[in-house]
Amino acid sequence: MRRHKTAEFVIVPTIAVVFICFYAPIIWTIFISFTRSGMFPSYSFSGLMQYWRLVGTERWHTAFLNMFVFGVLFVGFALILGFLLAVALDQRIRFEGFFRTVLLYPLSMSFIVTGLAWQWLLNPAMGLQHLVREAGWDNFLFDWIIRPDRAIYTIVLAAVWHSSGLVMAIILAGLRGVDRDIWRATQVEGIPRWRTYLSIILPLLRPVVLTCVVLLIINVVRSYDLVVAMTNGGPGNATDVPGKFVIDMAFERANIGQASAAAVIMLLTVIAAVMPYFYLETRRTGR
Amino acid sequence: MQYSRSLLFTIAICSTIGAMGPASAQTADVLHYWTSGGESAGMKVFADAFKTRGGTWIDSAVGGYDDARASALSRIAGGNPPSALLDNIGDVQALAEQGVLSPLDPAAAAAATAHMPGFLMSKVSREGKVFAIPVDIGQANWTWYSTKAFHDIGAPPPATWDEFFVDAKKLKEKGYIPLAFGGQPWQQAGLFYNIMLSVGRDFYKKVLVDRDVTAAGGPEMVKTFETMRKLTAYVDPGSPGRKWNDAANLVITNKAAMQVMGDWAKGEFIAAGLTLGKDYDCALAPGTQDAFLMVVDLFDFPTVTAPEMVKGQKLLRDVLIDPAVQVAFSKVKGSLPSRLDVDVSGLDSCLQKGEKILADPQAQVPNFEFVFTADEEGQVKDLVSKFWSDPGMTAVDAARQFSQIVGETSK
Repeated sequence: MRRHKTAEFVIVPTIAVVFICFYAPIIWTIFISFTRSGMFPSYSFSGLMQYWRLVGTERWHTAFLNMFVFGVLFVGFALILGFLLAVALDQRIRFEGFFRTVLLYPLSMSFIVTGLAWQWLLNPAMGLQHLVREAGWDNFLFDWIIRPDRAIYTIVLAAVWHSSGLVMAIILAGLRGVDRDIWRATQVEGIPRWRTYLSIILPLLRPVVLTCVVLLIINVVRSYDLVVAMTNGGPGNATDVPGKFVIDMAFERANIGQASAAAVIMLLTVIAAVMPYFYLETRRTGR
Repeated sequence: MQYSRSLLFTIAICSTIGAMGPASAQTADVLHYWTSGGESAGMKVFADAFKTRGGTWIDSAVGGYDDARASALSRIAGGNPPSALLDNIGDVQALAEQGVLSPLDPAAAAAATAHMPGFLMSKVSREGKVFAIPVDIGQANWTWYSTKAFHDIGAPPPATWDEFFVDAKKLKEKGYIPLAFGGQPWQQAGLFYNIMLSVGRDFYKKVLVDRDVTAAGGPEMVKTFETMRKLTAYVDPGSPGRKWNDAANLVITNKAAMQVMGDWAKGEFIAAGLTLGKDYDCALAPGTQDAFLMVVDLFDFPTVTAPEMVKGQKLLRDVLIDPAVQVAFSKVKGSLPSRLDVDVSGLDSCLQKGEKILADPQAQVPNFEFVFTADEEGQVKDLVSKFWSDPGMTAVDAARQFSQIVGETSK
């Protein structure tokens, strides 16, 4: 009984904080998205007006679509590259500690710094393209960052550079935890190493990979700083993302209603993406 | 022990600061975003004049307009408003409508109305009350050009955009970037409004002041977008995302021939040690010789209650409207004073050129801040920015979308 009381004592403030800091603002935002709030919140109901406007806004379409393009490519490439790097480091190479540090280093930088560095690197007038041309290849062309149809891929490039080290570190830790006997058994059976990695080790590492996916997806949904630093949504609004759209609407344009509607759509998207995962996980563990 | 001592110390400091506030009789808490060289020097002119008259100046500087605005709105909403706010003209009536601004007293209001451009004052007034004091009038339709570049092609700076397109080919042959430009939405919009003004002053006013939807989607608007499309061929590949001052630097270093930018660009040339009239010069933006495209900095005054804040607010208004202070401020800031009755003979040739145009009320043309809300202006930026970077978008289509923005807002 006593222990029960203690538990309650600890949990109640936590629930209160979670409610006040997380759920109350969410509910408030949903409410505001149904009003005509401009510079200040107003509480007169105006139906789905904000959502209709959002649906008709081309910039929102671009931003929303970009989240998926960026998300799929970023998570995919970061996972593949991170896994390959981890496997490479797992081959008992020399100076492993050195390589591990080097590959993990990008992660120590904020997205703002990453974005600025890549913005300069990719700027055709002073970055990579300029350098190669100076070196003699006059026709070298790498101007993706200024092409509306390609710029989003440069963001993927920078994000993968930033995050694949993290995936590598987590998967490497997983690889080190694999039972030695499994390796011995596959050697006795004469199974090629690549086959062992693909068909035995990878399935074993399922929870580790899932952790990576969740961490990466969080970065996708909250992507804002990288885009702001690298292209600021440009050229035009080709690299806009929902996070930036919401912030621009709320602060620069003093349109809280529109910002709230966009934020609610973001929330719904996340729920839609996370639900199947939760469903599968809870069913698997039988809770 | 160490901990509690430092805690005591903190409490002592805090209570000292707390006690300092109410002790003085006139206090102004000024929220602004002027943190760069010329700007903060300008703010210091006001602060010094205010202190000389016995006031206590609390400087709440927040870097960047958007952040300052966010800070101001949350302070107002949170019941702790600043006593003065450096603001954009488009916000004044919206804030006044919300009832969070306190109007000028009749004497100050009369002085402002009598000596500042009428159109300007109409935009900061509501129901017969004046809610803001403009402190300067900038001009956005300037061309800043490299005298060397135009000397090399043996031509004067272009008086029209058609002339520019002829010059631009020659400039390209000589290795110059014809137009120094940064592909940021606000710069794209700035260029857009300048082109619109070059198509016709009356057309510009019809669209922005009268909100004429037909004109906003008509042949003149199509021409505006077509000219803009042509210009995309005369900027360099490094332009997307470039800051305006980096673009100015291209002209400073004679890599580019000219930049279309407001009078604040002059500060960059001065800071680089160049001489006006020798290394660089100003000309009115192509096709806009008959207009003064106004950009205004102003203060508005959120309602405060503490007696010393109310007194401080009144003193601050007297300072801001004082002709002597305005001239001192203009010299530092590099723009024209908002009062038309002050002596500008000490100001440079560009400003004097501008002052002559400004004297004609017909020539006074408002920039977007006068007429668009932040939300509407955001839509214009989205449109113009998309048009600039998407060659597949036609001028006709862009004009149609522009008229929708103008029409939607007049509802």
